[in-house]
Amino acid sequence: MKKLLLIVCLFLAPSIALAAVGCDLNDPDRDIARLFPASSGYKTVYLSIKTSGGEAMLQRVEQRLGDSFHGLYETIEVPYTLYEVHQGKEIIGYVHGVNQKGEYGGIQVFLSLGTDGVIKSFYIQKLTSKAAKELRSKQFGAQFEGLSLKDFQAYPPASGQLPTSGPLATLKNPAPAAGQDFQHVLRAVKKNLILMDEFVFSKKKR
Amino acid sequence: MNIYSVAYKNLLRKKTRSALTAGGIALSAWVLVTLLGFNRGYEQSLNRDIDNMGFQVLLTAKGCPYEAATLMLKGGTGLRYIKEGMVKTVTAYPEVERVTPMLMQGVFDPNKGENGAVAAYLGVDALTFPPMKRYLEFKEGGWFKDNNAREAVLGYEAAELEQREIGDKLLIPGINAEVRVAGVLKRSGTQDDGTIFLPMGTVQTLFSKKGQLTALGIKVKKDTDMDAFENRLYDLPDVQVVSLAQVKTTIMGLLSSAKVIVLALALIAVIIAMAGVINTILMSVLERYGEIGIIKSMGAMPRDVFKMIWTETALLCSVGGLTGILLSLATARLSEAAIRRFLPYTPHGALVVLDGRIAGFAFLMILAAGLLSGLYPAWRASRVRPLEAMRAESD
Amino acid sequence: MTRLISAKGLTKVYRRGNEDVWAVNGVDLEVQAGEMLAITGPSGSGKTTLLNMLGCLDNPTEGRLNVNGKDVFGDQKEMAETALTRIRRQLFGYIFQKFYLVPTLTVLENVQLPLIFYKNRAARKTPESLLSQLGVGHRIDHLPSELSGGEMQRVAIARALINEPKILLADEPTGNLDTRRSGEIKDIMRSLAQGGIAVVMVTHNQEMAHAANRIVEIRDGKIY
Repeated sequence: MKKLLLIVCLFLAPSIALAAVGCDLNDPDRDIARLFPASSGYKTVYLSIKTSGGEAMLQRVEQRLGDSFHGLYETIEVPYTLYEVHQGKEIIGYVHGVNQKGEYGGIQVFLSLGTDGVIKSFYIQKLTSKAAKELRSKQFGAQFEGLSLKDFQAYPPASGQLPTSGPLATLKNPAPAAGQDFQHVLRAVKKNLILMDEFVFSKKKR
Repeated sequence: MNIYSVAYKNLLRKKTRSALTAGGIALSAWVLVTLLGFNRGYEQSLNRDIDNMGFQVLLTAKGCPYEAATLMLKGGTGLRYIKEGMVKTVTAYPEVERVTPMLMQGVFDPNKGENGAVAAYLGVDALTFPPMKRYLEFKEGGWFKDNNAREAVLGYEAAELEQREIGDKLLIPGINAEVRVAGVLKRSGTQDDGTIFLPMGTVQTLFSKKGQLTALGIKVKKDTDMDAFENRLYDLPDVQVVSLAQVKTTIMGLLSSAKVIVLALALIAVIIAMAGVINTILMSVLERYGEIGIIKSMGAMPRDVFKMIWTETALLCSVGGLTGILLSLATARLSEAAIRRFLPYTPHGALVVLDGRIAGFAFLMILAAGLLSGLYPAWRASRVRPLEAMRAESD
Repeated sequence: MTRLISAKGLTKVYRRGNEDVWAVNGVDLEVQAGEMLAITGPSGSGKTTLLNMLGCLDNPTEGRLNVNGKDVFGDQKEMAETALTRIRRQLFGYIFQKFYLVPTLTVLENVQLPLIFYKNRAARKTPESLLSQLGVGHRIDHLPSELSGGEMQRVAIARALINEPKILLADEPTGNLDTRRSGEIKDIMRSLAQGGIAVVMVTHNQEMAHAANRIVEIRDGKIY
């Protein structure tokens, strides 16, 4: 029995450490209730750029982002998980996460949004970074509350330079010496907002 | 026209009843086939996982395996180690073809998820480990060549989670050490998909474990007497011998008990379905009493009537059985997903494996059970005397 | 004429509680080939019981029966069902008041049904030709539920004749039919008898009875 347990640990150890691949909430029941205390439930919707608009949508997203999709893990097929938050039959908000390549590892950035597309809260589920503690702090996350896609339109992920005016000008990098992950997080937020606009808000307007 | 078309049309008289009975048989067939498929799939996948470890015997430090579990789950300390000198000792045995040392270390990363999680790193020997794992293929890059290089090879899923490609930096949290990605593996369907491999010397240096190992993987030569070899290994001080063949046997032994329970459940499902068959066919006979009497008056022998009723049973069970088998084929992946959700430990690979043999066996079993169930109603029908039947109909 | 049925002292006694009921009591009867015999009598007189014994559907309590030169019932023990079945299928055809057609089979299939169990190799007529001869050839693909009473009885007659029996037994063949259709069945029976088949029928229908060559009246189980 002891040997069995050992072997099982050898099998399992890596999987315990790396349980969540993709950008789903690790515990949606707990997290949705925390992000939307007034919610009565949620519905999970799986989307991708490929199935929602294909190449045309990809080009639009890249143009709006001001940066192209790179590498092995940022492709047209990537699945996105959208959580529609309900109070009774009414949708009261959304939770959506994106994976972002960071300097030292993957970053999972979740935004909870109202039905008007405004950020209600900001949550980094996973982050491998020298600035991890600072980027996951409440103070850092609070900076994003109340912002929306129009505020990020002026932000260029390619250069990573913050605009000198507007709501983003006051955003503070909590650990400037810790590398590029602050810029990576901002890219993830902008990408998240653009995808939410493409998947949900623009469709509603139409 | 023949006895089969007459039997088929008799079943169509009460379509709903026949459909419900066939549906019950289909459900029992579905349960039976899925469970048989699970038995085979689990065993095959487990064998594959163990075979894919690349070695037949694992040597670990003697001590409490719960400590090892603690390290894996909570990043605790106190794991026992094997001295590196053991590699030379074991390599000298004539039965040994190859030995590969391993050093598993973990760090608690508070930035993984809400409550943090352990990040594990497996130190392996650049020279001896890759030949043990020939089935691993690279998506990009390759194995590190130097046992002290600040490099890493990531399994497919580990690379996807960390969004790493060849040349990227990787941070080991806690100790804040940087390594560079030398290779990203293709999906292998084994636990290696979630593993981050580092050179042995690098792990020993970064975690201050010079000269220490957590395990030794041993590949033995062909035709080695495993029992005798393992007995020799038991004589080594401060090590535990884990024979993967024994582990397989232990797990399969545990599974056997589960298999018996599971097959008993399938059998109960079949028995319940057959009770439905007896009821349906018997009711059908009693409803057609007068007609059976007329058929007898036309010249049907008792064996002809028996055959006609028995054929109805066979048709019902065949249709139900085939439907159930097709249903199990269609829902195999769904069943697998459900099993993975509820079972704590499942090997990689397909858990429900269905083929012609399993389908054929299940079909024959359902048919045999059905024919057995149909014996009484068919016998009852064969004994009908024409006159009594017609009188009963008139009443 | 060939004697097809010879019954001597046929008796059937039923036990009802503490009483014995003599349904048929010592009946002597002969039937010739080509003869149409009508058995009449009040309800409960034993006509159907007598018919069933003549047709080897029931064992008598006493008496002898010879059919087509072979002793069927006599001083031996009760005959086994399989033996009776062999005799029935070689020599007899039956039609009943209720027709007893199989509702899920077409007209053609109903007539073909006896052939699954026994086929008289000497029989020359096909089911289709029999049905045409009886005036229902145009209904071969219909189900019994789509036929009139007269049509159903014709189909039942065709089924009874498919193996060219020597004897046709009919129990109230027009019981469920109107006057016009009863007349049609009467004509069919008469022509069958003229063709050489012995037709023995139980009937309340006076027209049917008077169409027969001979009428036998049964009262209280005895020939009156």
